[in-house]
Amino acid sequence: MVTRRVDLRSDTVTKPTEAMRAAMATAEVDDDVLGVDPTAFRLESEVAEIMGKEAGLFVLSGTMGNLVSVLVHCDTRGSEVILGDNSHIHIYENGGIATIGGVHPRPVKNNEDGTMDIDSIEAAIRDPRGELLYPTTRLICLENSHANSGGRCLSVEYTDRVGELAKKHGLKLHVDGARIFNASVALGVPVNRLVQAADSVSVCLSKGLGAPVGSVIVGSKSFIAKARILRKTLGGGTRQVGLICAAAFVALKENVEKLEGDHRKAKILAEGLNQIKGLKVDVAAVETNIINVDIVDSKFTAEQLHKHLEEHGVLVMSKGQFRSVFSIVNHPFRFARKWTKLEFVARTK
Amino acid sequence: MRAAMATAEVDDDVLGADPTAVRLESEVATIMGKEAGLFVPSGTMGNLISVLVHCDKRGSEVILGDNSHIHIYENGGISTIGGVHPRPVKNNDDGTMDINSIEAAIRDPRGEIVYPTTRLICLENSHANTGGRCLSAEYTDKVGELAKKHGLKLHIDGARIFNASVALGVPVNRLVQAADSVSVCLSKGLGAPVGSVIVGSKSFISKARILRKTLGGGMRQLGFICAAAFVALKENVAKLEGDHKKAKMLAEGLNQIKGLRVNVAAVETNIIFFDILEGSKLTAEKLYNNLEEHGVLVMPEGPYRMRIVLHHQISSSDVHYTLSCFQQAFNGVHEENGNQV
Repeated sequence: MVTRRVDLRSDTVTKPTEAMRAAMATAEVDDDVLGVDPTAFRLESEVAEIMGKEAGLFVLSGTMGNLVSVLVHCDTRGSEVILGDNSHIHIYENGGIATIGGVHPRPVKNNEDGTMDIDSIEAAIRDPRGELLYPTTRLICLENSHANSGGRCLSVEYTDRVGELAKKHGLKLHVDGARIFNASVALGVPVNRLVQAADSVSVCLSKGLGAPVGSVIVGSKSFIAKARILRKTLGGGTRQVGLICAAAFVALKENVEKLEGDHRKAKILAEGLNQIKGLKVDVAAVETNIINVDIVDSKFTAEQLHKHLEEHGVLVMSKGQFRSVFSIVNHPFRFARKWTKLEFVARTK
Repeated sequence: MRAAMATAEVDDDVLGADPTAVRLESEVATIMGKEAGLFVPSGTMGNLISVLVHCDKRGSEVILGDNSHIHIYENGGISTIGGVHPRPVKNNDDGTMDINSIEAAIRDPRGEIVYPTTRLICLENSHANTGGRCLSAEYTDKVGELAKKHGLKLHIDGARIFNASVALGVPVNRLVQAADSVSVCLSKGLGAPVGSVIVGSKSFISKARILRKTLGGGMRQLGFICAAAFVALKENVAKLEGDHKKAKMLAEGLNQIKGLRVNVAAVETNIIFFDILEGSKLTAEKLYNNLEEHGVLVMPEGPYRMRIVLHHQISSSDVHYTLSCFQQAFNGVHEENGNQV
């Protein structure tokens, strides 16, 4: 009988705190479609300011944030977007930019550190002289922190260089910043500096920051005005949305400072796991709150490990036959008893 | 609602299932007499998903009213986002489309080399733009039979289906029996802050869930929004009849004002359209400003037409006050320089 549960599958599982529930219960709301919901407006303005952009728009999910951003930048039929072949937009968003938005993806190889080689990006930009055969490249997307490579951080120097490349070719730059605060904290770079080169950023409040729902996209005033209409078209025009924004506000105010703790715990856990015979973790690659763990003892599969861990109340995510993902997040009811977790895992071996 | 939200049980509805969302979806499905339900954040998303799931093949066409919400007020999303071709058919003043006109609009499969393929018919009940008019169960059934005869699906935009059900005195599951899917708003007259639920068969709903995620509607701990919607469902259907009575009363009062005309017989639910008559010194804009100064907000619908919508947070006293504001605006019409005529 398991009395204790440690859910390490993802940082999306975070439940709303008492402060968030209290904020939701008293939030000032209005019809955000007929006019403006005051709490939504406050949140959007706040996030825009923090990110150093002109305006913001609350959206219900990171997927919607990216979908709206790509589609607004690529509003002309026949557009193409360059993005990582292992990026969230390309792998986990149902191909929506294409199936829903009619935008053609041009995936470029993601390195293990989450970057794409600048040369490879440039080589992927369509030559306008070939327009009779080519779609038109309009946008480059980066992902920071990069989830699938293990929450790796793109440096401000790298981001700036991609931004210069985009400008040189008349392209826009969108940063999928679902976990941009994690990257900012890990790199020790203020978040507005980190995304300075970007035309738009999508920021999740429902992941490590712990809000129950939502993301905010930020960009220029004209970008956001178009985004608002597209959000409505997709069905994201919610009425008294301030209720949700109130919780997101609390997340923003209270939980950014907890991220550093998550990163430290992730490092401790990663080091411990790496010392277990049969497991391998690239500890140097653990920069934020995500750990990719490979099982090198082929007597064990990820599935078996998961079952065993689950019986002890520890939940992780499968990524193939021999890889598991542990996402560390500051959960209100979690104890930071790393050693106990390692004991569990050690005992399974 | 706020209390329900503060204490709602929630979980990640994408990685697993949010328990409160599941409860709401099951409840609405049961009430509507369908197999399953899916919470969506807006009526627009409810209709968009429904049309796109029924019309999942490229080259699809949907028959709908030329004055329907989907056709007029949803950014043309079924086309711009979903690639579905609309075939609008004239809406009558009562919200229906002639059955013959619908049938004539169905594409003959023998013309497929030049035609898109009709896959879906959409009705709207109550029908907003004609003034909240109700489609009867008999009419809905006839359209359903026509759809079946031609192998088409039937979707009902039931944003205000509970208003129609109450006004007609027909249980809501009977009213939508012929429909393959229904989109029901909880955020309108039922008063929830956010959301709709779409209902249909299990297989329809499982496809709808994926499309909802694709559109960006896959929310995480959404149970607390569903908790408020649950309260709306439980407590506010019973208040709709009162809204309809107030609407009728207000409509009758407005119709007696010289300079205004209301088709009182057409006021079946909570929506009133009125026209400012020719010769009146007031335009919709002037009337709007006048009313606004007195704290009464209505919706302009053209230079001489306006819309009023009642709901449970409008009291009888509000209705009387509103009527007196209108009366004052017309009977005490002021000249441009402020002198009373």
